Amino acid sequence: MNIKKSILLRVRFAFLLVAIFAGVIFYRITHIQFVDGEKWRQKSDEVNLQYRKVNATRGNIYSMDGSLLATSLPFYRVVLDPSIAKDEVFRAGIDSLSFLLSKQFNDKSKDYYKRLISDARHTNKKYLILNRKQIGYQEKQEMMKWPIFRQGRMSGGVIFEKVEKRFYPFKALAGRTVGFLNEDNYGAGIEFSFNEYLGGENGEALFQKIAGGTWKPVHDANDIKPEDGFDIITTLDVNLQDVAESALLRQLLNKDAEFGSVIVMEVATGHIKAIANLQKNKNGYGYGEYYNYAIGGQGLTEPGSTFKLLSMMALLEEGKISLNDMIDTGNGTYKFYDRTMRDAKQGGYGKITIREAFEKSSNVGISKLVNEHFGVSPSKFLAYIEKAGIDKPIDFQIQGEGIPYFKTPGTKHWYGTTLPWMSIGYELKVTPLHTLMLYNAIANDGRMVKPMIVNSISRANKVTQEFKTEVLRKKIASDKTIKEIQSLLEGVVEHGTAKNIHNSDYKIAGKTGTAQKLINGRYTQKYYASFAGYFPADKPKYSAIIVIDSPKGFNAYGGDVSAPVFKEIADKIYAQDLKLNNVQNPRARREQFKDNDQLPFVQAGMAEELQMICNQFGISNHYKGAERWVKSSANNKSIDWKANKVDEPVVPDVTGMTLRDALYVLENKGLRVDYAGKGRVRSQSMTAGMNIPKDGIIKLTLG
Amino acid sequence: MRQDDLYISRIDWITILIYSILVIIGWFNIYAAVYDEQAAKSIFDFSINSGKQLVWIGTAILLITVIMVADYRLFDNLSLILYGFFLLILLLTPFIGKEINGQRAWFEIGAFRLQPAEFAKFATALALAKFMEAPTFDLSKGKYQLRALAIIGLPIALIMLQPDTGTAMVYSAFGIMLFREGMPQRYYVFAIGFVAISLLSLGIENNLYLAAAVMALMVLLILAGKKTWQRIVTFAVMGLVIIAYSYSLDYVVSKLPDHQQNRIMVLFNPDLDPLGVGWNVTQSKIAIGSGGFMGKGYLEGTQTKFDFVPEQHTDFIFCTLGEEFGWIGSLIVIILFGALLVRLIYLSERQKTRFSRIYGYCVVSILLFHFTINIAMTIGLFPVVGIPLPFFSYGGSSLWSFTILLFIFIKLDSHRIQLLGRNG
Repeated sequence: MNIKKSILLRVRFAFLLVAIFAGVIFYRITHIQFVDGEKWRQKSDEVNLQYRKVNATRGNIYSMDGSLLATSLPFYRVVLDPSIAKDEVFRAGIDSLSFLLSKQFNDKSKDYYKRLISDARHTNKKYLILNRKQIGYQEKQEMMKWPIFRQGRMSGGVIFEKVEKRFYPFKALAGRTVGFLNEDNYGAGIEFSFNEYLGGENGEALFQKIAGGTWKPVHDANDIKPEDGFDIITTLDVNLQDVAESALLRQLLNKDAEFGSVIVMEVATGHIKAIANLQKNKNGYGYGEYYNYAIGGQGLTEPGSTFKLLSMMALLEEGKISLNDMIDTGNGTYKFYDRTMRDAKQGGYGKITIREAFEKSSNVGISKLVNEHFGVSPSKFLAYIEKAGIDKPIDFQIQGEGIPYFKTPGTKHWYGTTLPWMSIGYELKVTPLHTLMLYNAIANDGRMVKPMIVNSISRANKVTQEFKTEVLRKKIASDKTIKEIQSLLEGVVEHGTAKNIHNSDYKIAGKTGTAQKLINGRYTQKYYASFAGYFPADKPKYSAIIVIDSPKGFNAYGGDVSAPVFKEIADKIYAQDLKLNNVQNPRARREQFKDNDQLPFVQAGMAEELQMICNQFGISNHYKGAERWVKSSANNKSIDWKANKVDEPVVPDVTGMTLRDALYVLENKGLRVDYAGKGRVRSQSMTAGMNIPKDGIIKLTLG
Repeated sequence: MRQDDLYISRIDWITILIYSILVIIGWFNIYAAVYDEQAAKSIFDFSINSGKQLVWIGTAILLITVIMVADYRLFDNLSLILYGFFLLILLLTPFIGKEINGQRAWFEIGAFRLQPAEFAKFATALALAKFMEAPTFDLSKGKYQLRALAIIGLPIALIMLQPDTGTAMVYSAFGIMLFREGMPQRYYVFAIGFVAISLLSLGIENNLYLAAAVMALMVLLILAGKKTWQRIVTFAVMGLVIIAYSYSLDYVVSKLPDHQQNRIMVLFNPDLDPLGVGWNVTQSKIAIGSGGFMGKGYLEGTQTKFDFVPEQHTDFIFCTLGEEFGWIGSLIVIILFGALLVRLIYLSERQKTRFSRIYGYCVVSILLFHFTINIAMTIGLFPVVGIPLPFFSYGGSSLWSFTILLFIFIKLDSHRIQLLGRNG
């Protein structure tokens, strides 16, 4: 009995416990919501009101010829305070407004918008996002004429909230140089380096937090007005940039190289007219801009033979040699202590003049000379490097410039073999930009100017700051030496390692370089092929450097890999630039159609169809590949079909195809096609091999 | 066929109905907690928590089916094996668990994270029921008291290794079950007195007042009864022990790590540090307080987004309810929880075997503890300890473990007549 009573008591106690706990909690909540309710609501309002940043409009980046490289486009979100409009205005306008909204956003019915707005007005809502989709400026202008909206913010209640988006009209062109800036203020290129100017001063305004994590501006205007950013005018030329980038891309694809860089610079001013850095995409297809190898720290490398120019300059300045002196390069090998210097030619060049040693790029010849004249006092050689001004960073306008690396005699890194190897461009590191600066100085008769990429800073079309060309060295060597070097560089193209790019229209001067790549402390069979030079050699206007990393195939020499790119760029610039050749040059057109003249009219298409047609007409043709799409190439009197790799996920080459084929190929890649003219595709606006841009439109010229 | 019909009708549908309502309200609340109008996603979107919770709910239904279809004797037979298994898992957790916020309380299996301490609750409940069902088991005897405490104490000790104080505290809830099963009252009087004195000595700034009050009380007690020497000495010693304890507690607290000290002190004075330790509680109160009578409406809450109330879809989910559904919404949910608990006590009492009754009380104890402590914490009645609100909080481990816990009992309850036959 007692136990039963006790148990009953305990069970009741359990019920009681639940009741007490629930009761205490309930009491507390009631207290919070009613007795202290006012206090908490007030606090809620406090934390819901905040001064928030109002972004300034970011400045634009222009090329020197005025093309927009980067700009901020305004987009708007359409918000309505439905409680503002007067009854008669609201009643008269709501139907047509709902209809227009439904038509504009094309997602919900007219009735949906009508109900949405009417309900919100009924419940006295102050802030209604009509649609989350953002609209463009033109659409906004149009919307401001709509019923209710046309009453404006104060009596119609419409609010267009501005959001800005960065837009790059030329897409990836000079992508890494124009740069980017992400939300954490991390970035690269001009966008990053000149952010201080581009960014402007952000303003502030009072915002209230409303449901759904949205902030609504409390006042009509900003409390602290944002100050818009400055515009940056670069020295880039969009046309030259395009020429440089497509020439580089073609060769990279051709040689299946890892990456490549091009810089084209105006000799007199140091203005960089074009700068391209293309690197193989991670998926192995095509190329994109990922790093500024032309300028940045990762672009630092042993330059190889292009550095022989400095060795020659030092030797000539010493005044102890003449270009016609003989030097014995022997059988192409020469031992410095325990290391063997080798020439590219098997068996060596034998006894040649110093001029020939340079033009043929004899490692043995140059290193023997340098060792002979500077071996006892290597610091004298380093003094010439210093005099040439490429031993230190130049404080380039874009951040992240690579710091040149040179060894110092007498330190533990300096071996007996360092000097001879240094003389041919090993055991030191510079970027392509530094090498180009040296070649540019030769072109500029010894006057070394600092390369620059930003020409001026302006606001509202008024230039606020202009960057003048800076002279780093008035004279890097005596006039006599400069003249001799110039003649040597011309000789390289006339009868040296780059004679394959020699042409009769204008003169190119330059030097090839083929450096073996040092990977994990060992020299490998991978090469770094380069060509640095200037044109026209008689009256230099532009200097340029081309570097191509790890080209594949038999011919990996600078003369075979990089010099042709230089020539292609130089040809196109020469053809375009009227200042360079006052007479209209027929060469430009001839260049374009040279190959085509020899080809039959059938140029590109489906292998099966083309073979059938040719067989029908009795034209001899051969095809060994398996690709479905081919391009033709003449081989004596027959046609060789070459595979046209349109299946790779990059922009395909459709030149020579019929419009039907081109449309089929391009639209399968998700590109939209715009064309003009009749006949076969003569040119395409997107370079073959580049990444396919999303929603891209490719323009085809037929003819 | 006939037997099946009978079985279905023996299931306690009232409990299942309350469970379902709570889970569904919880799911809508989770969506509200992560709702962002700027990037509105459907409640079913698997990239946000409400979508994921739906997966947990779906798998919970699967678990329920398995439990309801399984043989009812299974839980009795498996109870000790399960208990041993989870003890082993808990033992391993501090070594192979994934470290999150300085705790190693979680197992990571692929994309899933499980918290073994949550699941060990039902295993411990089953083990307690199994041990205590013996007719000879008598809680008034010290030997059996020790045994029961050992079964509870083992998982607590192992969980403290992780260390997860909040979850370990939950196991103390079994005290409610032990009380029903006849644990002597004096322990509870002592425990409650101990807690009360602790709270008072921490809450009252100057311990001299407390000392004076204790002295006065003791004098009153002495005066009220027989004035034998024995009583006078007993009360005097008691008074002195209490005073000594309160002083030493203050000293111990002052030696605790700062963050634990703060958690305790903020309870007594939330304005002490409104942006620091009190931040969670203050924000939670702002959310609930600004809800008012009817609330701001579903998805209209401004406080209960990530940026204001932290951990809000898990441990602080109740304040979303308070803000968006106001006093009415809170009342309904408290009534639902209350009704569930009362129903479970009623069901426990109608069990014919000790095993299922004890298990039923274990369920009641754990749910009551979670429900009370979680809500008390969101409204500033209790220090912030990270334990979820049953059926409401986001997370697979908590939903699954509470579902298993509850439905094993519903299963046992539905077979109470067969169980009678077996136990005689």
